[in-house]
Order: sequence, then C-alpha cells, then structure tokens
Amino acid sequence: MWGWQSSRTAVVGIAIVVFGVCCLLPVGCLLTMSLTGTGGPYSSVWLDARQRGLLYNTVLLGTGTALLATAIGAPLGVALARIALPRKALFRLALGAPVLLPPYVVGLAWIYLGSSRGLVATLLGRDLVSDWTYSLPAAILVLGLVLYPLSMLATEVAMRRIDGRLEEAALMVAPPSRVLWRITLPLAAPSIFGAALVIFVLAVSEFGVPGLLRVRVYTTEVFTAFAALYDFSRAMLVAVPLLLLCLAVAAVAAALLGERLVITRRSAGTRPAFLDAWRRPAVTGALVVLAVALGLPLAVLVREALGATSLSAVLEGSGEAIANSLLLATVGATAVLSVAVWLGYSRARARGRIGQVADVLFVVVFAVPTTIVGVGLIGLWNRPGVLGTVYGTDFMFLLAYLARFVPVAALALAASTRYVPLSHEEAAAVSGAGWLRTMFRIVLPQIRLGLVAAWVISFVLAFGELGVSILVAPPGEATLPIRIYTIIANTPSSHVAVLALLQTLVIFTPLAALGAAVSLREGR
Amino acid sequence: MSTAALAVTNVTKRFGSHHALDGVSLDVATGDAVVILGPSGCGKTTLLRLIAGLEVPDSGEIWLSGTQVAGPRRSMVASHQRGIGFVFQDLALWPHLTVEKNLGFVLESVKTPRAERVPRVHEALKLVRIEELSTRYPHELSGGEQQRVALARAVVGQPRVLLLDEPLSSLDQELRATLRAELARLQRALHVTTVYVTHDREDAAVLADCVVEMRAGRIASVSDTKRKEERA
Repeated sequence: MWGWQSSRTAVVGIAIVVFGVCCLLPVGCLLTMSLTGTGGPYSSVWLDARQRGLLYNTVLLGTGTALLATAIGAPLGVALARIALPRKALFRLALGAPVLLPPYVVGLAWIYLGSSRGLVATLLGRDLVSDWTYSLPAAILVLGLVLYPLSMLATEVAMRRIDGRLEEAALMVAPPSRVLWRITLPLAAPSIFGAALVIFVLAVSEFGVPGLLRVRVYTTEVFTAFAALYDFSRAMLVAVPLLLLCLAVAAVAAALLGERLVITRRSAGTRPAFLDAWRRPAVTGALVVLAVALGLPLAVLVREALGATSLSAVLEGSGEAIANSLLLATVGATAVLSVAVWLGYSRARARGRIGQVADVLFVVVFAVPTTIVGVGLIGLWNRPGVLGTVYGTDFMFLLAYLARFVPVAALALAASTRYVPLSHEEAAAVSGAGWLRTMFRIVLPQIRLGLVAAWVISFVLAFGELGVSILVAPPGEATLPIRIYTIIANTPSSHVAVLALLQTLVIFTPLAALGAAVSLREGR
Repeated sequence: MSTAALAVTNVTKRFGSHHALDGVSLDVATGDAVVILGPSGCGKTTLLRLIAGLEVPDSGEIWLSGTQVAGPRRSMVASHQRGIGFVFQDLALWPHLTVEKNLGFVLESVKTPRAERVPRVHEALKLVRIEELSTRYPHELSGGEQQRVALARAVVGQPRVLLLDEPLSSLDQELRATLRAELARLQRALHVTTVYVTHDREDAAVLADCVVEMRAGRIASVSDTKRKEERA
C-alpha cells in the first residue's frame, strides 16, 4: 500500500531510533560495561552471602507479591466477568485505581498506621506491630494491595475472551462452581499466570516500598551503592543479576500472554453470568478490598495530614518540586505519546513473528527495574562531550520517562489501533491520501480515546515516578516524589502526608475525568 | 401437569423491546424427534435455550417428564439438573480437554460411578464411529469429527431430552448429508426425545417425526411427517 519511500518509513523509523536510544541503549550500555569489566569482577559481588541474601529477599518479595495480588485480583476479575454486579463500571474503575497510586504513597500510609507512633499503637496504647511494619511480609502486603488490579484486569479480559457457549455446554451437566473450576479457569489460566509473572517483575523492580520499609533487596542495594556509597561500579554489578532475573521472567510472561497483549476483542459467543448466586459475597469482597487497598491508606494519610498547622508552611518548601513535577509529567507524557503512537501503530499492523517479537521486547523493556534504568542512563549520558551536556539537566527526567513508559504506552496504543480495520487505510490510500494524511484524518481520530487514555496513564506514571528520577535528578532539582522520599526522615509526618495526598489528588483528577469520559461513551 | 416428555406452555420471552417468543406452546412425546424450522431471528434458538435453562422465560411454563422446570410459581430448575444433552451450533467443544475428557467431564458431573466411565465413553464414541480419536484434542479433528464428538458428548450422559441447535449449518453439502443420516440412525437407536432447530428443510425431511414452523416468535404450523406415520 505504502512503499519504503513514503512518510511512514521516516516517521516510524524516527520512533524506532528514539525507542532504541531511550529504552535499549541504557540497558545495553550497563550490560556492556559490566561484561567488559568496567565494573570489576563479577565474583566479588555474586558469590558472597550478602548477595545470596539479597537474591533470596528479592525472589521472596516477587513471589509473595505475585501470589497475594493474584489471590486478591483473580477472584475480583472472575466477579467482574461473570457476575452481574451493580454499577460494574464504577467498581472496575475504583478497584483498578490502587495500581496507579505510587507504591511508596501506600507504603507511607502503612508506616503511619503500623509504626511505633502510628495509628494502631495510638489506639492500642502500646506498640505491637511496628516490628512487623518494617519487614518483608509488610512489603509484600503493600505491593500486593497496589498491584492486584493487574491480575484482576488480566483475569477479566481473559474470561471475556472465552466463548460463553463453552461454559453453557458445561452448565448442561455441571453446577456453576464446577464449570468455573474445570472449564473457565483452565481456559483463563495462561493469562492469569502471565499477569502473575508481570506482577513478580514489577515487585522485584520496585524501589520505593522496600526502601521505606527497610527491606534489603537488589533495587535498594543498587541505590545504596550509587547514591550513598558513590560506588558506580558496584551499583552496576549488583544490577546485573536483577536485570537478568527480570528479563527472563518478563520474556516468559510475554510469551505466555502472546497476542493477548494487543488483542482485546471480546469473544463472539455469549457470556453467561452463571455465577450470579455469588453476587452478594462478591460485592462484599470487592468493598472489603476497596476499603483496605484504597480507603484505609487514604484515611490514614488524611488523619496524619490533619496534624499540619498551616498548608502554606507545607507548600513553602515544596512548591518548586510540585511545579517541576507537573511540568515534567506534562511534557514527559506528551513526549511518550508522540513516540509510542507510531510504535503502537507499527505493532498493530505487524504480522506473525515480528509482532510477537515486538510484544516480548516491549514487555521486557518495561520490566527493567527503575534503578537499573537510572544507572544505565547515568552510564550512557554521564561522559565528556556532547552527551555530557545533556547530563545534569532536566532533560534527564524526560529521558527517564521515555525509557520507562514508551513500551507500555505503545502496547496500549497497539491494542487501540487494532480496532481500526486495515481496510479504512486501504480505502484512504486508493482515494489518493498519503500515509501521514491517512493517519491524522482516518486512524488517529478513531483511536482518540485510546490516545487520551495513554497520555493520562503516562502522565500519572510520570508524576509518580521515583526510582529513575531520584538517580538522574540534576543537583538541586527535585520532583514531588523525590521531595517526599527525601524529607520523610527529617520532616513532620503531617507535612509529608499533605504532600502525599496532594500527589494522590493530582493522579486521581485526570483519572476521574478519563473514567467519566469512558462511562459517557459506554452509556451512549 | 403435563405428562409429555417435553411440554412448553404459553411461553413468552422478550429482550428489551424485542419479542423473541410470544405465547409459544409445544408438546413432544417421549422418543419423538421434533424439528423446528424457521428463518433467522424467528425465536427457534431462544426456545431451545429456554428449554435448556440458559434463559429464563418472562411468562409461561416448561415441563420435562412431568416436572415443572420453569414457570411463575416455582424457581427455575438449574440447567445441569434438567437431564438435557445439547449440541451447540458452534459445537462448544472444550479446547483444553481431549475427546475422552470432554465426554468424561459429563459423566463425572452426572455422578456416574468411576468404573463405568471409561466403558461409557468408548460406547458413546463407538456409537458415532470415532473410537480411535479418543486421545485427540478438538483442534486436531476435522469438522465432521468435531461434529461427532459434540454429538457423543451430548448423549453420553443419557439425557432425557436431546437439543440440537443447527449443528450441521457450518458443513459442506456432502458431509451434511452423511451426518444427517447418522443423526437419524442415532436418534432411532437411542430413542431419545429430540428437539432439532434448523432452517434447512432437508434436515426436517430426514430427521423429523413432527415439523414445527416458527415465524416472528410464534408457532405458525405443526405437522406430523411420513416418518412418524411409518413408525406408527
């Protein structure tokens, strides 16, 4: 339809180059430097007991979080897919919200709840739970409550793809519970397992929560080596095992999920609400999860924030960080979208093995832990010459956002673009339109809601980004997440809580607007 | 109370403002094969789904062997407690189970003693002449073989009523004729009460004791066939 000399080649080519420079080069640079021995011998960090302890803690954090998030999320996904819940769209939106909260904000709330001077100790009159608050199980609990929506959404989507007649055929001879266990869940199992692997990767990549709860894992070790000990070589070497672990698990997850990553089409058959008898326990369970995962952390933060004497005093020292965050997240989300839209289009139109490879690449790149992206960006840009002029400027934040969020935005936009039939482009082409004109007049208008959603998600993720930002931030520059993380130890908790709530408010406002737009569209 | 194998009395079903069924009544005697004919959207599949318990009637009653399974004065009897075998239009073979496990699931669910399950599965497969395919998965079978598996799965639990929703619609003419004859043979051999939905008069000519024609959610005509007369 369009040859190599069309504008498509140039536009998609530039997007691929940007993806390579921002997402692949930092990781490649880190791997190359570690393999060429710039970081010192592997044996010095890979074989000692301390490293084995780190590996043990990291794997336990990932496994525990994946199990807990699946235990909470999968039943909710089943309920959303197969029970006629009241106000289902609202339930889905509210139950999905925790995944967009920065995990350290929830971690902060749990500290205010369970620390020696926290809410529980105040109510009981003595400290019973503070030891447990700063522990690996607590980190698993916090991350499980933040990440369960991924399992929930994956389960719901998987179940919506199952042809309802398969279940109806089983309902002829078996009760609903048996149909669920023997027919529905085995068919949805690859997606549920794939989501659990993605959660594993996100949990072991997480820096903020283990850092706050004083759990020693690879991400915190990388940060300590770089930011506290100023030992870049060690940071780089410690990062490699974590990177390999994440890449391997992410590759398995992507292979398991296969085309499900970009095809969200519903099954052609009916979807019987055959579990309706469980409606009451399902609604009760969903409300309990909402209360614990969303209501309780926010209530604890509000209670803590009420101790602040003056809002202006809180904002006085953090105004610049807030403004920085808003500006950088806005510019960052726009930059992410302007690259991801062309990558998403290319993925949507790619056939066979190329498309599968692209899916695996996007998932694997998104799985690279934040601290590793940070160390990779520093290794790539902190050098003499032209590259060095970029390092030490706010541009590093944008590079960080591009490195972190282009893959996930590209996957989301690929899913949207798949809804636009290829014949629409073909019709435009035979009418004499060039590729760019076809994109801007035919394709992009049809995926406008997907574009808005991708921008909002990118904005929300960029606004809450901590792991990379804290490593690449120029001296004296801070975003709101960095500000919150660095003032926790030496600032009244009420001030920190106000900032955390402010961050939550900024995140939820565009999400609420997006939710309203989606609801309106569904209602039409 | 009706004593027919299947009795549908004045059943109405709406989907929003669309009247799918409007006061439909039908009696089927034990062992009879009824073919329901009609154009797309006339309500034939809805009628079948109501009999199977996959939809709830807005009004009217449905009786199976003298037991009310749907009606205004009592709650619905669940699908799996009605003793029905169903062959879906798209067959709905469970893709993650082999042929014998597709049939085995039915026998486990109807609480068939463990020792009887394997012989019963092989008996059903023998009946539809695909014994050698028992360890295959559905995607490893041809269209005709899948059709036979669906049929075997529907009868293996020895249902009181067999419901078939245009099971031959996706096949080519030649295979269709072969399987149509097989179905007729099977129905006679098992002597199971059968309701068969189709828009093909050829199916009706070979399979039916009684032909019911539907139009716009109502029964337009009911007529006994030559087959019934020969049987009588």
